[in-house]
Amino acid sequence: MEAILTECVQNSLRHFMYRNAIFMCERLCAEFPSETNSQLLAVCYLQNNQAYSAYHILKGNHMAHSRYLFAQSCFKMDLLNEAEAALCPPNESSAEIPNGAAGHYLLGLIYRCTDRRKSAIYHFNQALSLDPLLWAAYEELCILGAAEEAATVFGDAASLCIQKQHLPHGLGSKSMQASAEDQGLISSRNVGAEDLSPRHLKNIHGNSQRDAAGNYHSAPQPGGTGSQPLNGGPTTLSFYSTPSPMAAASQLSGVAPPPICRNMQINGPNSCATGADSSPRSTVNSTIQAPRRKFVDEGKLRKVSGRLFADSAPRRSIRLATGDSVANTNSNVSTVSGNGTNHSSKYLGGSKIATGSVRPVTGRKGQSWSNENFDEGIKHDGYDDSRNSSTTCSSPSSESRSLDQEGPTSAAGVCLSGSRVAVGASDLLALLRILGEGYRLSCGYRCQDALDVYVKLPQKQYNTGWVLSQVGKAYFEMVDYVEADHAFNLARLASPYSLEGMDVYSTVLYHLKEDMKLSYLAQELISTDRLAPQSWCAMGNCYSLQKDHETALKNFQRAVQLDSRFAYAHTLCGHEYVALEDFENGIKSYQSALRVDTRHYNAWYGLGMVYLRQEKFEFSEHHFRMAFQINPRSSVIMSYLGTALHALKRNKEALEIMEKAIMADKKNPLPLYQKANILVTMENFDGALEVLEELKEYAPRESSVYALMGRIYKRRDMYDKAMLHFGLALDMKPSATDVATIKAAIEKLHVPDEIEDNL
Amino acid sequence: MAESSEGEEEGKLVGGNQQLVVDDDLCEMAKKAAWSVSSCKPGNGVLSLRDDNLDTYWQSDGAQPHLVNIQFQKKVKLQLVVLYVDFKLDESYTPSKISIRAGDGFHNLKEIKAIELVKPAGWVYISLSGNDPRETFVNTFMLQIAILSNHLNGRDTHVRQIKVYGPRPNPIPHQAFQFTSREFITYSTVR
Repeated sequence: MEAILTECVQNSLRHFMYRNAIFMCERLCAEFPSETNSQLLAVCYLQNNQAYSAYHILKGNHMAHSRYLFAQSCFKMDLLNEAEAALCPPNESSAEIPNGAAGHYLLGLIYRCTDRRKSAIYHFNQALSLDPLLWAAYEELCILGAAEEAATVFGDAASLCIQKQHLPHGLGSKSMQASAEDQGLISSRNVGAEDLSPRHLKNIHGNSQRDAAGNYHSAPQPGGTGSQPLNGGPTTLSFYSTPSPMAAASQLSGVAPPPICRNMQINGPNSCATGADSSPRSTVNSTIQAPRRKFVDEGKLRKVSGRLFADSAPRRSIRLATGDSVANTNSNVSTVSGNGTNHSSKYLGGSKIATGSVRPVTGRKGQSWSNENFDEGIKHDGYDDSRNSSTTCSSPSSESRSLDQEGPTSAAGVCLSGSRVAVGASDLLALLRILGEGYRLSCGYRCQDALDVYVKLPQKQYNTGWVLSQVGKAYFEMVDYVEADHAFNLARLASPYSLEGMDVYSTVLYHLKEDMKLSYLAQELISTDRLAPQSWCAMGNCYSLQKDHETALKNFQRAVQLDSRFAYAHTLCGHEYVALEDFENGIKSYQSALRVDTRHYNAWYGLGMVYLRQEKFEFSEHHFRMAFQINPRSSVIMSYLGTALHALKRNKEALEIMEKAIMADKKNPLPLYQKANILVTMENFDGALEVLEELKEYAPRESSVYALMGRIYKRRDMYDKAMLHFGLALDMKPSATDVATIKAAIEKLHVPDEIEDNL
Repeated sequence: MAESSEGEEEGKLVGGNQQLVVDDDLCEMAKKAAWSVSSCKPGNGVLSLRDDNLDTYWQSDGAQPHLVNIQFQKKVKLQLVVLYVDFKLDESYTPSKISIRAGDGFHNLKEIKAIELVKPAGWVYISLSGNDPRETFVNTFMLQIAILSNHLNGRDTHVRQIKVYGPRPNPIPHQAFQFTSREFITYSTVR
């Protein structure tokens, strides 16, 4: 009966029938109370977004997997201390982190949320080393500013790792060589899958995360039978994550498909129970054994490029991954590409190796992806049914979270053609390298370099939502709003339901003053997802563009409420407060933004502006400098830093920075204008006039240029010219205050500024 | 009918607007100012002047002139004062002669505008600008609105709402002039 119940529960989970799953699982736990069963119940609850229930069920459990699930629930409920304690018990400092890479990743997230940067970095790095396909961890590292070059992370070591993971134990060295890559790939895939879950979770701003994680965990759970040994070691190869064909409905515990179904657990749940039977497990086990044997036999025949990967594909069934969601079909979902070809592995036992099915994953990187996928849940068919132990993890293309693995999860025979694995792994890693490098560069605000890197992607990868949004973001940072608009537009076409990066798009439209497009975007986003902070950010930007700052503020506050870990929402709130002249609240908002993400230079800039307005120039300079350190290429920041220095009377330094700003972006007129201002203060009128003449060419309708020139001519007693320029300034229709100032200046033209008599 | 006479500028304002419509480049300046009144009836105090509710009003309770004092934290440029008064509702409590004074404090207030209302009903706009373009704004620490007499010789007065407007500050701090062209504005902020 236990087996039947377990199978039923997993089946329900796979098919998203949560109520059924929960009910059945409760019967299961009542009838056969065991930790594994309670893990399964927790998974059901996590899948159903009831983290609190899972929390209560798992409290106090000590099995590694339970701890991981518990930590996920805590994370979801924002109880970070408990989550941390669960993953890393304080009194047993040498305990292994449960679930290997996923556990490290989750722990890293917790540390990041609690401001312990170094530990977070350490754990993300660990996660990456255990599972090189854990893109989410790499992404976090980039955001923290501590990522290594993509080439190293996704390099040979990674590939070895992947291969190791994909090869059955027995294969050992052989596979290593031969399919080092494949393996690596596979394992990474697997890992990836798992990782994806956590990552995915993360991406979804935490919401799905848990689910994913849950799923992912649950997957291993399936079968209820003694969960597999979740050793921390990610390399239990048993799983090959190969995209499982959606069709294959392995009944592996449904694990609600968080979009990223990862079949494989990093832990290598070898036994990933397919289904809740113990039998599959045994099958799996045997399969594993089998392949090994086979492998060994074939060892000699194998070449370096083994197709381990392919073999692993079949394993997917075991994976927790949620079902086979065919999410692949969604554009968003990107499946790992490249492995597809490898899946034709002949499995030892497995008959169905879904070879063909592996769909190339279109990498969609991206967060948006996760959001979207979330719903779709990429299910992996992973459970290719118990036959194979190989869990095909829908290898999450690392880039894309979506793990669609569609590959038929055929029971993977472990037949791995080592070469296939190697090739697959190398392809995947190559892709990841490009994407990783691009992302790292754009986090470091080296936007032009990032763009150059992204261009190297193959066309089909480039035309995915994630990549296009990243491109858009890069243009945005370079203040090239027109190109950014273009890129984001394409991103919307590629994945219309993605929310990732749409907040930046709304800001781009705000800058371009395209109110129609902006309100259209906002409406669309809200109708897509009313609970996403990005939609409300877009709406807020729309109101802000129309100068309705109070409503804009309300919208941004809503975004903050929906996700307090979304730094940009806080920054936008800050901007609105400042527009409403409520500086105190503005400062608080900016500081909240910085608490979430210290490298959010917009918040530093915002604080600098507030202090500049309040004439606290020292503070202002400090904050602009912090922003400058984070983003040393922004000419706008440089020009403000110069302004602050000018206010502090450090004119020489101010001039230096202005020069840098002018060099950094030729199209930015502001540093030139500020330079002229500084020169005027330093009484270098000729220099100032020269600069202003240049500016006149560039922006012939700018009233302030003429006004400043008028002032200079007046200082120089060249009254005719002064009059001329003041007149021109007035022609450009400046604001009412300026009209008054300029007219006053004209009236007093013949009266020297400082003294009445010149003598 | 608005008439002007010699000496002080005296104008008569008739009627009032139902809508409060203000130029875009003006913004309300007195949110952070300190408001006080010369006298008030309990329950109808100074808060009613600022609560954005046209049903609540300030009722004075003493000798004329009744004063509304607005003190700012620093010198501000002001351009427009808007009052909401309604003869139909308040009859003898409706203000009639109003004098607006400005200065650094109570000791040196000087009248900058005098106005007479004739059966007003709604928002009444009182511009503080002079004729000279240089006098578009009044730059001051304190504003005092003095109600010198009411309609029908009433002793006390009702005022339902008061708003004070000045020019919007330059969105870019520490700049002498505001930017007008797209090229400049695009690069002027980071959002």
